Formats: sequence, structure tokens, C-alpha cells
Amino acid sequence: MKHPFRWIALGVGAIVVVFAVILAVNVGTDPRAELNTSRLLGKPAPSFTLTRLDGTRLTLADLAGKTVIVNFWNSWCVPCRDELPALQTWYAAHRADTSLVLVGIPRDDSSSAIRAAARTDGMGWTVANDHGAEAASLAYGTRGQPESFTISPNGQVVGSIIGPMTTADLDRMAAVGQGL
Amino acid sequence: MRRAAWIVLAVMVVGVIAVAFWPHGGHESEAAHMHRLASELRCVDCEGLSVADSSAASAREQRRDIGVRIRRGESDETIRNAYVDTFGENILLKPSNRGIGLVVWALPIGALLLGAVGLAFALRRWQRQPRLTASADDERFVARHRSSAPDE
Amino acid sequence: MRATLGILGIAIGIGGSAIGIVFLLRGVIRHDAAALRSGRACVFVVLGGAVLAVGAMEWALLSHDFSIRYVAENNARATPTLFTITGLWAALEGSILLWAVILAGYLSFTAHRFRSRMEDPMVGWALAVGLAVAFFFFLFMAVAANPFELVKGVVPLDGRGPNPLLQNHPLMAFHPPMLYLGYVGFTIPFSFAIAALITGRFGEGWLADTRRTTLVAWGFLTVGVLLGAWWSYEVLGWGGYWGWDPVENASLLPWLTATAFIHSVMVQERRGMLRVWNLSLVIATFALTILGTFLTRSGIITSVHAFSQSTIGPWLLSFLFIVMATGIGLIAWRADRLHAPGRIDSPVSREAAFLANNLLFAGLAFVVLLGTVFPLLAEAVRGSTLSVGAPYFERMTTPLGLLLLFLMAIAPALPWRATSGEVLQNRLLGPAYIGGLTMVATVAFLTRDWTTVVGFGLGAFSLAAIVRETFVAVRGRRRADALGWVGALRRTVAGNPRRYGGLVVHSGVVVIAVALASSGSFGAKREVRLTVGQAATVNGYTVKYTGSHATKNDQKDAVSVDLAISHHGDQLGTYAPAISTFRNANQGIGTPSVRTGFLEDVYLTLVSSPNERGRITVGIAIQSMTVWIWIGGGLMALGTLVALAPRVRRGVTRPTAPRRGVGNDDPRGDDDSGGESAVARPEPVPA
Repeated sequence: MKHPFRWIALGVGAIVVVFAVILAVNVGTDPRAELNTSRLLGKPAPSFTLTRLDGTRLTLADLAGKTVIVNFWNSWCVPCRDELPALQTWYAAHRADTSLVLVGIPRDDSSSAIRAAARTDGMGWTVANDHGAEAASLAYGTRGQPESFTISPNGQVVGSIIGPMTTADLDRMAAVGQGL
Repeated sequence: MRRAAWIVLAVMVVGVIAVAFWPHGGHESEAAHMHRLASELRCVDCEGLSVADSSAASAREQRRDIGVRIRRGESDETIRNAYVDTFGENILLKPSNRGIGLVVWALPIGALLLGAVGLAFALRRWQRQPRLTASADDERFVARHRSSAPDE
Repeated sequence: MRATLGILGIAIGIGGSAIGIVFLLRGVIRHDAAALRSGRACVFVVLGGAVLAVGAMEWALLSHDFSIRYVAENNARATPTLFTITGLWAALEGSILLWAVILAGYLSFTAHRFRSRMEDPMVGWALAVGLAVAFFFFLFMAVAANPFELVKGVVPLDGRGPNPLLQNHPLMAFHPPMLYLGYVGFTIPFSFAIAALITGRFGEGWLADTRRTTLVAWGFLTVGVLLGAWWSYEVLGWGGYWGWDPVENASLLPWLTATAFIHSVMVQERRGMLRVWNLSLVIATFALTILGTFLTRSGIITSVHAFSQSTIGPWLLSFLFIVMATGIGLIAWRADRLHAPGRIDSPVSREAAFLANNLLFAGLAFVVLLGTVFPLLAEAVRGSTLSVGAPYFERMTTPLGLLLLFLMAIAPALPWRATSGEVLQNRLLGPAYIGGLTMVATVAFLTRDWTTVVGFGLGAFSLAAIVRETFVAVRGRRRADALGWVGALRRTVAGNPRRYGGLVVHSGVVVIAVALASSGSFGAKREVRLTVGQAATVNGYTVKYTGSHATKNDQKDAVSVDLAISHHGDQLGTYAPAISTFRNANQGIGTPSVRTGFLEDVYLTLVSSPNERGRITVGIAIQSMTVWIWIGGGLMALGTLVALAPRVRRGVTRPTAPRRGVGNDDPRGDDDSGGESAVARPEPVPA
């Protein structure tokens, strides 16, 4: 080796090129894209014990045999507000279907804000902001809001989605749960 | 005399470090244990904060959950694994030393050791080299700068 | 009108830098003095363009010209004037504009300082490289990040206003400009390093030419990083000041390599060695400022400050690649001429200590860089991400930091060339005992946490060594010149401001290190729920909730609670943490309130405002010695200023004056200014 610096420069250059390629490949991909897949898919759904806004209890066991869509949300979250019309439309259309249940669980909010939102926006599906809601949010490994899961009638997590859903998304989530 | 003073100092420092590293008699308090584990977990609702540092509802719930698990007698490893199972490996702020996580620990240590060995090697080689005197080039350089460099 | 002026400014910047590069290259290659002068003039034209663009932006912000998209997104009629002005750096486009104007300022300063040396190809090349960097930033603004883009459709009646976090504390007015003054300043040593490689004159000349600018940039970067930490502490409300967030790491990385450089440069000045290493450090420092901007602004990593901007990523990445390719390519091309003669005589010498220092700083930079980008690498390799956060960085950097502290204690006492064991033992025994006894006292009375024990001990060792070195030098000066202590101190420092400025910086570092070491062991944190009249006690501090207020103005709604703090019965006053809801955000932003103490801060946050039953949740954190981090930062800034002071060269200016008798501890025996004496020259005669 006549000039060791030349070899060192070559080595450093090669590392830089590899590094630049990795960065270039990563540019433009959403850093949160991977988060779209939940680790719970295909596993038994974690149980929860929630309080409805009227004070009655709701546990996952009560819902056995039904397809459950769980929607984690907050009143202050803008994407959740964006999602609201789709939820309202879908809920109105499937209200009568006893094999389908929609449960809205607050993640990080004040009780008064949840009650006010449920009243003004007619969110008949949502539950109270209490300890059970926080525990459910952890058990489902939620990483933000809105985040939604489908639980099949036999109690498996079969669908998950991060971010606002459209009515088509909701239909797809329900269909997955029903094994269609 | 001076040598004795240095030896006394060395004994003192070694003693202090031994005391500091000696296993503490007292049991780690539950709060400290919870804080230690919580500071290794990423708060999912924050940017770059640990569960221990965050005041988000999810972090509060996780701290409570860790406390419950500690009281239940779960080991640190079990608790960490439970979180990895729910959230994925990126919930850990400190990559595990298995698989690709090993790289982030081993690479800097390896590089530093390599650097230290290289430096020691270079110093040894310099020791064996004869001293050099300034070349004519160097002299010219100094002369040029004496006359022309702007005032720094 | 304002947008037109701004775009005109950017256009002048693009044109001025392009034409300047052409003139300078022509001048350098054809030895054309007139072309070089024209090229130099272009630098000032670029500055004019940048000032015009910044002026237009500030005018647009202050006059709430919402026809400009940037103003509409980062300003509102209710935004206070201070945060209207700081709107210039509230988002990416404005920050690039700030970057451009600072760069133009540095370049103009350089062009002015070297006005009498324009014929020197080194200066011509350096200015051309600097203008090429400026050209990139102006072009970047014109094409990808235009701050003067107009809103599409109807001009809104009111703007959205800055991000709530950026209009919550006056430090926002200082932290980003300081940081950018640091970042951008490294363009000058980078330009000279490239010029040295191109001209083949990579001796010590370019170092002497850029020493001051490098130090100025380093000083600004130091202050900028610490102000950023202070801002996080005062605004973000989690009780800490450094979270190893990618943006924080991005600002730390160039600081680490620059710190390595300002140490190793002394070896080259004194001994003519480490040429490639110094060139590499300068190129790396500059590249890291660009990498940091890329990582934090392209949305590739999520972070507190990372706003996703997909179009800018490829630009910054390409520029980074060009910078690296140029630097590495030039070094490879010049490899045969870069090998410097010289040797290090002893492993126990000042130069060997500098080598160890550089190994440790390079190691720290590597750890921080690897940790910051590792999630991306892991994702590329196996398709799923990892997190690398504070626990990793703390575990890896603590031992390196402690080793540096140790080195800082012994290195200033080591003479150049070789050291006899006797000298070292003489100089270090006292300070080493002070350090050892501090460790004993820490273990006996305070804590058994090993990092704190070792940190306190090494801190005391370093500080004692600094005090001893200074004291011995001043005493010698006092005897030699028959002066009082103050006069002798002044003359000692003036005789070698670089050395004593450096020691002041070191003492600032020690203070910060001790504060960091103590924060690991002392302090506590709790969240408590209180109703009016209730109190909670944490670490002897009792916090009593006495009432709450709601305020409302055009900028925000705020709820604040009054918390009276007392410590073992002493009333320490009432503090009012708040939650503010800004008009442009849905979620409330907490504003912590800090009772700053000499040894402990009481850090109060309002986690949730009064609920239906009037109950609040308050975070109470006791932080150890935080105020000393800011004091240490002040010392570092002061030391940088001292080091920048021109040296008073007595004896050189009056060569005929009789030499006075000096004792054994002649302060000049420890002369640190090897480079300066290598290019020593008579003081310039005033014209």
C-alpha cells in the first residue's frame, strides 16, 4: 500500500455510499408505516371491563359470539373528528344488526369532554373515560388515535387499522370479523 | 515519600469504587424498580420520551401496569417481553443485545477498542522512529507566514 | 410586493453566488486579479440579496401579509410581536432563509478580512467553495423550500400562527439563531479545508487562517445547544433538559467533532502532524450539520421538531452526498502529499493527551450518530424498526464522558513533547488528592451510585488542576513583574488568552458534568392529585394548592393553578404552572413553573386542570443542580470570548527590552500557542 490514506478514503467512501443509499431508500417512506400492523393480529383479543356512559358495565365476555369493532379515540384529536361522519353513518346503518357491535373507547381525555362529545355528536357507541378505558388502551397496544380493531365472534383479533376510517374501511373491518 | 502518597491515594480510590459497586444491602424500592423499567420503555404518545418521563394517560397506565406486574412477582425480562409482544420491539428504548440489536452495542465498543489499539501501536512506532528536524520546506513555510499571514 | 422583494433577494443570491464562483475560478486559474476582485465583490452582493429577502420576510410577518403561505402558516394577528419576529425560524423555509443570511454574513466577513490577500489562491478557492454552499441554499429556497410562495386561492383573513411550542417562551428568540450561527460558521473552515486540498497547501496555513472563525462557530454552537436544553426544560414540561431526541443529537454531533478539531488542531499547529485527521474532522463537522438538517427536516425520523417535508429530503441528501464525495475524493487524490513527517515522543505528553481526547470525542460522535440512525439501518436490514433512546445513549456515553473528565484533569498539566514522572507527580498530586477525598466524602455522606461518585471525584480533580495551573502561573507572573494578584492574573491571561480561555471553558464543562452526575442520583418525581387547600410533600418540599385562574386572550386560553411551595417550614413563594390551549391547536400545552434553587429546583407541571370536582393533577419533580448547567454554559461562553482575545505579546513587540528574571514556574513554559509561535511575527504597524 503506497498511500494508506487512499485506502482509508476508499473504505470511508464505500460506507458513505451504503449509508446514503439506505437514507435515500428511506426518504419518502412514511416512518410510521410499519406501525400499521398490530402485533395482536391472530391472537386472542385481550379482555376489557368498561363502563358505559349510563353507568352500566360492559365486558368483552358480554360480547362473545358477535363481531366487535373497537375504536380508540379522543375528543381533542383532529383525525378522530375527521373519522366521525363515517362512524356515524356506519353506526346508523348497522345499529339494528345484533351480530355487529361498535365500541368507542377514549384513550386520553377528560370525562366531561367525552360526555359532551357523546351528547352533541350522538355517539351512542362510546363508553366512559375511566380506568377500564385506559387499561383496554394498553392491553390493545394502541399507539395513537384513532386506532381500531376487529374482534371475531370467537374472540380473535382479526383486523386492525391506524388512522381515520372511511365507511368502506368499516365495512371491510366488519367483513373480516364475520369471516367473509 | 511522594510515591507513598500516590499509593495511599490509589488505595483510597479503589476502596471507594469497591464500596460504590458493592451490592447494596437494601432491597430496591418498588417505586425505584418501576421507574427503572418505565424509563426503558418508549411512551407511545410522545416524541422521544420514556414512559417514566411522560404525563400522558397511556404512560400513566403503563406505569400502573408495571407496578402491578412487579407486585405479582414477574421478572424484569417477563415484563419487557410482555410489552414487546403487545407493541413490537420498538417499544424498548434500549435495543436488546440479541440479533441486530447487538450491532448497536458492539460496533462502537469495537471501534473504540480498535482506535485505542491503533493509537497505542502508532505511539510505539513513533517511539522507535528517530527524531526529525525541520525540512527546508518547513522553513520556507514558516518564513512565508512570518511575512505574509494576516493578523489572526 | 413583499413576496416580490423576497424572491428578488433570493434571485440576487443565486445570481451573485453563481457569478462570483465563475469570477473566482477564472481568477484563481488564470491568475487574474481583476476577476478575483469581482468575485470578492459578488460575496457582498449575495449578502445584500440575503438581507433583502430576510427584510422582506420580517416585513411580511410584521404586517401580517397572509398572501404569503409561510406567513399564513406561521403567524396570526394575535401572535405577540416577539413571536412574530421569531416566525422567521418557526418552520423549515424560514430557517433556510436564516441559514442563508448567516452564511452570507460569514462569507462577507471572510471576504473582508482577506481583502489584502485576494491574490492568494487559497483565499480564492475558499470563497468559491463558500459561495457554492450559498448557491445551494439559495437554489434550494427557490426550488424546493420557497419561503415566499403565495397562498393558493383566497388570501385568509387570519393566519394559523406558529406551533404552540414555539410561541410559549422568549428563549425561542435566541436558541435557533445561536444554533445556526454555530452550524453555519463551520462552512468557513470547511471552505478553507477544501481550498487547502485543492491548492495542495494543507500545511498549517489554513488552520491559522480559520482559527478564530472556527472558535466563534464553536462558541455559538455550544451556547445554542445549551439554550436548546434550557428551552426544553422551561417549555416541554417533562422535567428534563436532554432527551436524546434526534434533533438534539443532530445539534450535538457537529459539536463533538468540532470540539475534537479545536483540540487536535493544536497538535498540527505545534507539531505539523494529523493533517488528514484535521481535514477529515472539519469536513465531517460540516457534513454533520447538513446530515442533522436532513435527518430532522426531511421527515425520515419522527421527532419533536421533525415536520414532514417530502420534497426537501432528496435535495439535502444529494447535497450531503456531494459534500462527502468532494471531501473524500480530494483526500484520496492528495493522499501521496498528505503524509506529514513528525512523531509523538512520549505517550505521556500533551500531544498524546490530545490524541486520546480525539479518540474519545470521535467515539462519542460515533455512538450518537449510530444511535440516531440505527432505527433506519435496522429497518433497511430486516424491515422493522427499533428504538434507540436515552437508556442506550446514557449507558454508552457515561464512561466516555468520565474518561474525558479524567483527561481534562491531567492534560493541561502535561507539557508538550515528553514528561518526566517527577513533573507530573508535582503538578497532579494535590489535585488528585482533592478528587480522591471528594469521592470518599460523596460515598460517605451522599450516595453510592458509582457514576455520581466518580463524576464528583473527577470533577473536583479537574477543577483543582485548573485552579492549580492558573495559580502557579499567576504567582510566577506576580513575582517576575512585581505586580499585585489582580494585575498578575490579568497579565497572565493576556499573555496566553488561548490557554486560559480554554481553562475557563474546561471549568464550565466541569460544572456541567458535576450537575449531570448529581442529576442521576438526587431528585424525585411524583404526580399528585390535589383539591384546593390540599398539599403534597416530595423530598421535603411541600406544595399546597391554593387556587386556580382562567385567562383568555386572542392568542390562547390558559388555566393556571397557584401552588405555594415551602421547604421544612420556609415559604419559598407561590408558583403557577398552567395549561394553555392555543387558538391553532386542540390539545392543551402545559407550561411548567420552576422554582430555581442553588442546589435543587422544584419543577411543577399542571397535568390536568380542575375537573368537575375541582381536583387537579400536578407533577412535582425535584431536580438536582440544574441551574449549574446554565452557569457552566455561561462559563464556556466566557472562556470562548477570552480565547478569542488577541494575545498581548510582550517581549516580542519590544525585542530590545531587557528580559526580566523568571522563576521556575514561568507561565510561558506551559505555552499552548504552538501554532501561533510557529507563525510568529511582529505586531502589525498601524498605517
